[in-house]
Amino acid sequence: MKCTECQMENIEGALFCEECGAQLEVKNELQETATESRGERLVLASPDGSTLDIPAKEEVVIGREDPISEVFPDLDLTGLGGMEQGVSRKHAVIHRSGADYTVEDMGSTNGTYVNRKKVQPNVPQAIKPGDEIRFGKLAFSFKAA
Amino acid sequence: MKNELNIRSIMSKDTLPVTGGEQAVYALVDIKAGTGTSLGTMAANIALVLDRSGSMDGEKMDNLKEAVGYVVDHLGDNDLVSVTIFDDQVETLIPSRPAKNRDEIKASLAKVIVRGGTQISDGLSAGLAEAKKGIAKDRVNRIVLLTDGQTWDDEDACLKLADEAGRLGVAITSIGLGNEWNEKLLLQIAERSRGNSHWIQNPIAILDAFRQEMEGMQSVAVTNVKLTGRMSPGVRPVKVFTTVPMISDVSGRTVSGTMVQADLGSLDGRKGQAVLIEARVPAHKAGAYRVGQIEIRYDVPSGGLSGQTVKADLTVTFADDSAAAAKVNAEVMNLVEKVTAFKLQTQALTEADAGHIVAATQKFQAAATVLLNLGEDDLADAVEHEIAALKRTGSLTAAGTKKLEYGTRKLTQVMTTSIGK
Repeated sequence: MKCTECQMENIEGALFCEECGAQLEVKNELQETATESRGERLVLASPDGSTLDIPAKEEVVIGREDPISEVFPDLDLTGLGGMEQGVSRKHAVIHRSGADYTVEDMGSTNGTYVNRKKVQPNVPQAIKPGDEIRFGKLAFSFKAA
Repeated sequence: MKNELNIRSIMSKDTLPVTGGEQAVYALVDIKAGTGTSLGTMAANIALVLDRSGSMDGEKMDNLKEAVGYVVDHLGDNDLVSVTIFDDQVETLIPSRPAKNRDEIKASLAKVIVRGGTQISDGLSAGLAEAKKGIAKDRVNRIVLLTDGQTWDDEDACLKLADEAGRLGVAITSIGLGNEWNEKLLLQIAERSRGNSHWIQNPIAILDAFRQEMEGMQSVAVTNVKLTGRMSPGVRPVKVFTTVPMISDVSGRTVSGTMVQADLGSLDGRKGQAVLIEARVPAHKAGAYRVGQIEIRYDVPSGGLSGQTVKADLTVTFADDSAAAAKVNAEVMNLVEKVTAFKLQTQALTEADAGHIVAATQKFQAAATVLLNLGEDDLADAVEHEIAALKRTGSLTAAGTKKLEYGTRKLTQVMTTSIGK
């Protein structure tokens, strides 16, 4: 298995290049292509198997609930270790327009990532079922329920 | 199976392609204290070995005294404690004794004044002698070593003491304060004794480190944990990493032929332990295949249990199914990526130490990329800073080296700092 970054030959089954650390197997469970989702219920699924339903509304704010600051996100990640994993109180927002979705980082401390690439704060980025979305260090698969 | 431990064994892939050749697989063995069972608590046997050299003057010593006071206040009456202070001479300030005379212990400590240089091995030797007096299977035996300076020509003696402590079941938690101490030595002392290590930049954080240490000790209920991995014929274990309290490459002392034997010491009840085994499996025809079997042996002193065992099989399926064979377990993937970052920065530091600037820079850049992918922007920035320092001066900064050594080893730990937003 040849590394596309440094051309080093790695043993079959290796996950990261021994020479440069580049990922060799792009596809993992989180990035698994989900079934066509138009019209279906979508969820955020974490690696431990728990799922969060994405409410059927145009804007879904994701973060950590903090009654003192009067922050009540639509999806509260506190119970999934959001605090320890670097999720901001107002971390990101998922926008829905028909069957199309985007995620937008709300200037969070530890960033939002789509398929391991950091997204620009306050710039919506298209997402599709099968994408990995990470808030701080908390990763989810965006997929059909 | 009993409920003292929960064992999960997860393979990087459930399905391997039929390739006709050898393949790499990764097995994550996750060990957690069981829930729903009250395991009781264990008494402590703690030896504090503290640097009193001249550089500890002022804020450092004031905070250290406060932290020791915290430890004494939070020990039970049946716990054992000793305090050894060292500079280039050593003094056993408090010989091993029950912690109930708290005011007396604190009064002795209050009189300590700073002086002299730093000779860690003498302090460690005296501290280990005190710990030995109270060693018992039903106690959590530990040394906490704190220093802010370079020791003088006694590194080998320190490592021999760490080996001895490890054999006796006394884990050493080494704490370096500031930037003028030898991180490689303190990390090795911790790793060889199956202990932990911390880097503290600001003296005000000493209390927090001691508090964490106390909480960790008081969560221990399962001790003498030993992992034995028996691989199937033809399977070759090549690398073994423990990941709690920090990532540590234990391949050299755990792998022998098709066997993996790892002494994991006491189990932190809050964090557990996770062991990553990288192995090579031989070619196989389609069908179920047992890579090997893991056995965990352990004691639960509070329950009078000794030599308990739990077993778990490591299995995969070989199949001509490219879609199934492309699926990688996300949890294993994430851990392997963290270990990859640790390996790259270790290689970079080795190259830098040898004066190989170009090779070091390449490894650092690779490490920075992996760290960015992991969302560790702060550590990636630290790597970039060291690359710049290396190009500018030909050497690394003391603080940057420590940040990378400790930061990448502790990638498996969740952040403890509060989030501002």
